[in-house]
Amino acid sequence: MNLPTLITLALVLAYPIFYAAYLSFHRVALADLRRGVFPFVGFGNYRRIFADPVFLLSLKNTMLFATVSVTAEILLALAIALLISERSVWTGRITRVLILLPYAVPPIANGQIWAFLYNFNFGFLNRLLFALGVIDAPVDWVGDPRTALFVLTIPYIWRTLPFAILLIHAALEGMAPELFEAAALDGASAWQRFRYVTLPLLRPVIVVVLVLRTSFAFTVFEEVLAITQGGPGDATWVAAWYSYRRSFAPPFDIGVGSASAYVLALITGLLALGYVKLLYRRVE
Amino acid sequence: MRPSRPVRIALHLANLATIAFFLLPIATAAIGSFESEKTLRADTRAVLPSEWTLDNFRVLISGGAPSSSSIYDQATYLPDNVKKIRYALANSTIIAVSVTVLTLVFGSLSAFTVARLRQRWLEWLMSINVFARFVPIVVLMIPLYVTFRRLDLLNSVWGVIIAETGFLLPYGVLILSPYFAALPQELDEAARIDGCSRFTAFLRITLPLSTPVLASYGAIVFIVAWNDLLTPLILNNRAEFMTLPVVVASLVGDMNVFFSLMMAICLVAMAPSVILVLLLQKFVVRGLVAGAVKG
Repeated sequence: MNLPTLITLALVLAYPIFYAAYLSFHRVALADLRRGVFPFVGFGNYRRIFADPVFLLSLKNTMLFATVSVTAEILLALAIALLISERSVWTGRITRVLILLPYAVPPIANGQIWAFLYNFNFGFLNRLLFALGVIDAPVDWVGDPRTALFVLTIPYIWRTLPFAILLIHAALEGMAPELFEAAALDGASAWQRFRYVTLPLLRPVIVVVLVLRTSFAFTVFEEVLAITQGGPGDATWVAAWYSYRRSFAPPFDIGVGSASAYVLALITGLLALGYVKLLYRRVE
Repeated sequence: MRPSRPVRIALHLANLATIAFFLLPIATAAIGSFESEKTLRADTRAVLPSEWTLDNFRVLISGGAPSSSSIYDQATYLPDNVKKIRYALANSTIIAVSVTVLTLVFGSLSAFTVARLRQRWLEWLMSINVFARFVPIVVLMIPLYVTFRRLDLLNSVWGVIIAETGFLLPYGVLILSPYFAALPQELDEAARIDGCSRFTAFLRITLPLSTPVLASYGAIVFIVAWNDLLTPLILNNRAEFMTLPVVVASLVGDMNVFFSLMMAICLVAMAPSVILVLLLQKFVVRGLVAGAVKG
């Protein structure tokens, strides 16, 4: 009964992981791909990417992107999850229905919509801010290389927020109300109840969200493709974008693409190790 | 413990801000798609257009050239990918439905063995599944491109179906097997005593009792497969074999598709998964929470 799963996993997961390692030690340019013979180059591809300032910048950008977006995500998710579990705020019911919406939107469509929002001449964000009287000259949202990466985190946060909110909200719903009543009877203020009852109980789920979201944020791709294509200049090159571009755009070098993708896989692999350790600890 | 009035008002305002944030991109796409290129270009400060139109959707349905329509200003030519968007809609549907069916079948079979047979290697399979979720798709897609190129699976729906099924199976085993394991084993045993084989017991007892978790997993797989860009983007580059996300990606930077038409394409691309999420909200929520917590 396990056969179909095992065959599929072997073909699409196990084999490519080893084959990617193989490719990363060989020269796989367009001409080699046509001939079907890949000459061995040892660590040549790895030496090339670590000598490539664009690759190092991509790694740095990826880490910065992941740090900023995951931190913002967890803080926002915590706030929104607390908000919608507050019974006296009846509009929270509308929010609960809307929360899942971003999860359903294809990431590339999300990217295109934000490309429209951020557009300098025709963009919707500038229109809204004009109407609200906040600005009187159009803002070039992704035009500044110093801020473009941070502007790019907002569409990503929008799309990935549902997951974090749902997990934290589920954990909040699972808490016994007696705990809070007891704390209130003991004279704890709302802040103290949050700080000394809610937050410690949420710690495990926050750590799960942190690890899962960080590893996914490391592979951000669609928003970069739709909104900035790595620009302005190299300002928003990230790791997945680097691997994709090196492999499937000039110079069509799949060996270099594989080597850079492998570096990314090693980083997320370390995060996965941490995640598994964490789960085992929680089971005990 | 009802909060005081000013606090309640502040909370309401915060909640309204949240709602506005969630709706902003959706509203943008909706307004933009019912606008013409002309109105969008003519007034760069108006939030709502002076004139609403369905022409963007008409162009998509008919696959006609924009020159035949009055809504276009500077766009003179309709890219092939947009003319053939019906193919993309069909491909997206075929791929997402096939991947959902295959992962449900393969995943539930595997999850059943993990839940019922206490074997050491099955525990290994579970930990491999946990790890598999962390492998970046781009790492798998580069070697798969080389392999599928050799197997002549580029530019076909099959290559994408095989790849996405493999990527989404681990998640299924992860959320299905704890659910199966929690079902009372006595039911299985009673069925076996009545003459069922292990497999028919699975079909007649376990599966019907598991419809909620199957719905959760099925809905999530459909949404992820429908939304996936990287797999079909790398494997299929001919207009006849593109999925909707690939069409959207292929139009990045194309001067002949203005934001108004682009927003209409995005609405079409997001409609099925958005409708599914609204219909199966409860199941999607459960599936996402189970996948992360019980993993």
